[in-house]
Amino acid sequence: MKRLLSILFALTLLPSAALAQDEMPKDWLHSGVNIREVAVYGNRPMKEIGIQQTKLDSIVLKENIALSMADILTFNTSIFVKSYGRATLSTVSFRGTSPSHTQVTWNGMRINNPMLGMTDFSMIPSYFIDDASLLHGTSSVNETGGGLGGAIKMSTAPAENRGFGLQYIQGIGSFKTFDEFLRLTYGDDHWQVSTRAVLSTSANDYKYRNHDKKENIYDENMNIVDQYYPVERNRSGSFRDLHILQEVYYNTGRGDKLGLNAWFLSSNRELPMLTTDYSNEASFDNRQREETFRGILSWEHLRSSWKMAVRAGYIHTWMAYDYKRDVGNGTMAHMTRSRSKVNTIYAQAEGEYYIGKRWLITANIAAHQHFVESRDKNIILQQGGNGIVGYRKARIELSGSASVKWKPVDGVGISAVVREEMYGDEFSPIIPALFVDGVISKRGNVVAKASVSRNYRFPTLNDLYFLPGGNPDLRKESGWTYDAGLSFAVGGSGIYSLSGSATWFDSYIHDWILWLPTTKGFFSPKNIKDVHAYGVEVQANLDVALSKEWLLKLNGTYSWTPSINEGEPISAADQSVGKQLPYVPKHSSSITGRLSWRSWSLLYKWCYYSERFTMSSNDISLTGKLPEYFMNNITLEKGFSMRWADLTLKGTINNLFNEEYLSVLSHPMPGINFEIFIGITPKW
Amino acid sequence: MSTLLRIAMAAMLLLSTSCMKWDYGLEESFDTSASGEGLFICNEGNFQYGNATLSYYDPATKTVQNEVFFRANAMKLGDVAQSMVIRNGIGWVIVNNSHVVFAIDINTFKEVGRITDLTSPRYIHFISDEKAYITQIWDNRIFIVNPKRYEITGYIEVPNMTMESGSTEQMVQYGKYLYVNCWSYQNRIIKIDTETDEVIDELTVGIQPTSLVMDCNNKLWTVTDGGYEGSPYGHEAPSLYRIDAETFTIEQQYKFDFGDWPSEVQLNGAKDTIYWLNDDVWAMDVTADRVPVRPFLPYNGTLYYGLTVCPRTGDVYVADAIDYVQQGMVYRYSSSGELIDEFYVGIIPGAFCWK
Repeated sequence: MKRLLSILFALTLLPSAALAQDEMPKDWLHSGVNIREVAVYGNRPMKEIGIQQTKLDSIVLKENIALSMADILTFNTSIFVKSYGRATLSTVSFRGTSPSHTQVTWNGMRINNPMLGMTDFSMIPSYFIDDASLLHGTSSVNETGGGLGGAIKMSTAPAENRGFGLQYIQGIGSFKTFDEFLRLTYGDDHWQVSTRAVLSTSANDYKYRNHDKKENIYDENMNIVDQYYPVERNRSGSFRDLHILQEVYYNTGRGDKLGLNAWFLSSNRELPMLTTDYSNEASFDNRQREETFRGILSWEHLRSSWKMAVRAGYIHTWMAYDYKRDVGNGTMAHMTRSRSKVNTIYAQAEGEYYIGKRWLITANIAAHQHFVESRDKNIILQQGGNGIVGYRKARIELSGSASVKWKPVDGVGISAVVREEMYGDEFSPIIPALFVDGVISKRGNVVAKASVSRNYRFPTLNDLYFLPGGNPDLRKESGWTYDAGLSFAVGGSGIYSLSGSATWFDSYIHDWILWLPTTKGFFSPKNIKDVHAYGVEVQANLDVALSKEWLLKLNGTYSWTPSINEGEPISAADQSVGKQLPYVPKHSSSITGRLSWRSWSLLYKWCYYSERFTMSSNDISLTGKLPEYFMNNITLEKGFSMRWADLTLKGTINNLFNEEYLSVLSHPMPGINFEIFIGITPKW
Repeated sequence: MSTLLRIAMAAMLLLSTSCMKWDYGLEESFDTSASGEGLFICNEGNFQYGNATLSYYDPATKTVQNEVFFRANAMKLGDVAQSMVIRNGIGWVIVNNSHVVFAIDINTFKEVGRITDLTSPRYIHFISDEKAYITQIWDNRIFIVNPKRYEITGYIEVPNMTMESGSTEQMVQYGKYLYVNCWSYQNRIIKIDTETDEVIDELTVGIQPTSLVMDCNNKLWTVTDGGYEGSPYGHEAPSLYRIDAETFTIEQQYKFDFGDWPSEVQLNGAKDTIYWLNDDVWAMDVTADRVPVRPFLPYNGTLYYGLTVCPRTGDVYVADAIDYVQQGMVYRYSSSGELIDEFYVGIIPGAFCWK
């Protein structure tokens, strides 16, 4: 195996078999073409037997400081990201499922909002995440329950620096966008301390042609004499997001590691007006604010054949939604004043025990205790006095699993997992999962893998208790998922590396929860659908060393995700049975290409989403069209290494071809836009 | 190496040749002036998606045209089409979350003007050619507008109502007085003097009166939904009320079972029969003392969302929103309850308007 400065190839395959333990150096641009090792099947951790996984490495995550995890997932994975605009709610559809079917963890702690079930990925700056991986379908059972689509695992890691370090990056972009990132680090043999902060602000008032609306020109008698489609600015779209992350790690050097992670975010975002809004921007203030603290203390105890880890954490989230109207003289009166608070206490313990080289036994138990308060409306009561529409609830969520992993012979692995969950006082049935994999051909590292699991997702607190509409009689959703796939990896002699994988999946979800309007003017959730989500995920990586100084890396994903309503017709006129779920594209694809030469680097990103239906009947109406779109972004980066500091200069162009596109109806997206980043890392 | 580079570059260029096929609509010409009666259907569309539409049905030929506003004007109707009223050949379509009321020619469906910057409009009622009221939700004011100038000219403040719990709905005029039901977290009908634009009286009914009509005997009818379980405002059995417009007092209360969800009180053309939805479709003579034992149309497994009665023929139209994310279905029944026609319209058909 060639080491540093030789050209090696890594595989960021679904079977992360390929990804060895070594991560890319953090600042690979300045280190030359300095690459991680190739992994072969035999070196793969037993914990990953049969797992379908996509790992996102630090090159991908640290592309630029302005990006959120929503952007990273869009361009680097097969997940569909549904975005309501720039720096607005961005949710994911993993394998054709809904946002709450993707479980999300940060350093082991589940961070899905317990009220809504989903995670807003626009609220997670990718510069705060050092490792991220997608656990597809069944593979999520190893980590957590409820991931009917899968799970996204994000974590932070010690910077592994010695002495003091500082990195500062500033970005200035279109629409009065300013991004700043500061990181201070300190490290020695035992301690690693890091403080990171990101501040993003933007007027976000991009121009777009409004296809949905016309402006009228009247004569003096108020007859329309002309109409035109206005070029408008994104109205009420400004944002200011601040994130601070403090980490302290202590390594005894004798097999014990202690860690502290504390992440504070403060977000103040306007909610952009629809393309079909005819109000005066100044007449309304529509704003969402969030302040969240997430803190985790961890202890890992490592021995040669066993490992134990304990974590404790706390989440506090305060969210405010204010919709105000100018009632004259600039007085803004509340139309809606909604507040919610979530406090979550988290504790987890896990252990691993190796019996020889062929057996591994693991056990894991996690508890999340939520305390939720939702105050959605202030009203005047019948008898006078004020009342509040909302709810206050607490729920304990326990999830425990045990697994046995066995390699009967070299090249074959079997893993059995059982998981059990308890939400409130309700237990899930046993959640079983079985994984097998095996080397089919040593030449080409061809590995076959298959897995099957049962899974359940409990209703969220809003599903059960939201006023009005919450339905305490909801059943938990349940599903079976089957996975089978092949992967390969060739290359390795320093010229090229090609790897790829294809996975077929098939899942049946019963009692899918949907919120439907009632005749009383509000929505209420019901267990209404049976969904058959199936398809194929393909991924390929090509790394080519064109010379000692040139490196080309290509990464591509494609997924075909029919997600079909197989429930009973709601009424005789129901045309939705047998049809694709709305807002889930059948085809999606992404390609990223990175070409580097010495300290130059050119990154090209492309993604594609097929047409999304906006109706469950899959009818395409004139007012409900969401055509397919392609997105192209390009970034050029240059690094300068000086005696006193490393400097980076980066320019990025988003939406290179100035495409007009929509992710969600009536929510305009920005056209071509630019941002320049300057980074400095002093040497002292 | 250069070959590889060229291939890579070419591949990238290939990938970038694309464009989303999203362009302006085309204006289509309609002229329905030849047909006699016609029925407009306001399809709410999904909140925040701006996919409200207007459908037009010709009962004589049993033909429906969908998305007529978009097709005639090459622009969207907007977000949540709430209601429509016709006056002097102009249709006024209230689009709630677009903060707008569109005025359209009822034969060509072309826009002739619009009133903008409303808070959250629900219904419009004309006092005269130059004065109309527009009720709102999340506002404690009824907006006074000049429909000729498309201007907001003033407000009627409703007492004991805050912006947050503000809700004024349907309007019925009796002489110079206008009655308005206050629905969301409210329990009253208010009385407005249309000369002074002031609320001069109010009548407490049950929790959340949803609709308001006036029959041939000048009796107002409203039905409450009774609130919902867990509401701090209360939850009770809903009721239908007959109110005398002259004395503004409740004449009769017809109680439903706890948990019933009645809605959509409508009148026939002669205004001597009221209709409403409560799982089934119900009809009752306006002089009846009690609710009939059997419904006009029994529940057929779906929750109806809208109801209207043809003023000329007495045909009853009910709208089924199905799962609320597909084209809804309108069923047309004769006055004796036989199915005459059924047709798909837009998403969430909620309100009707007769030409």
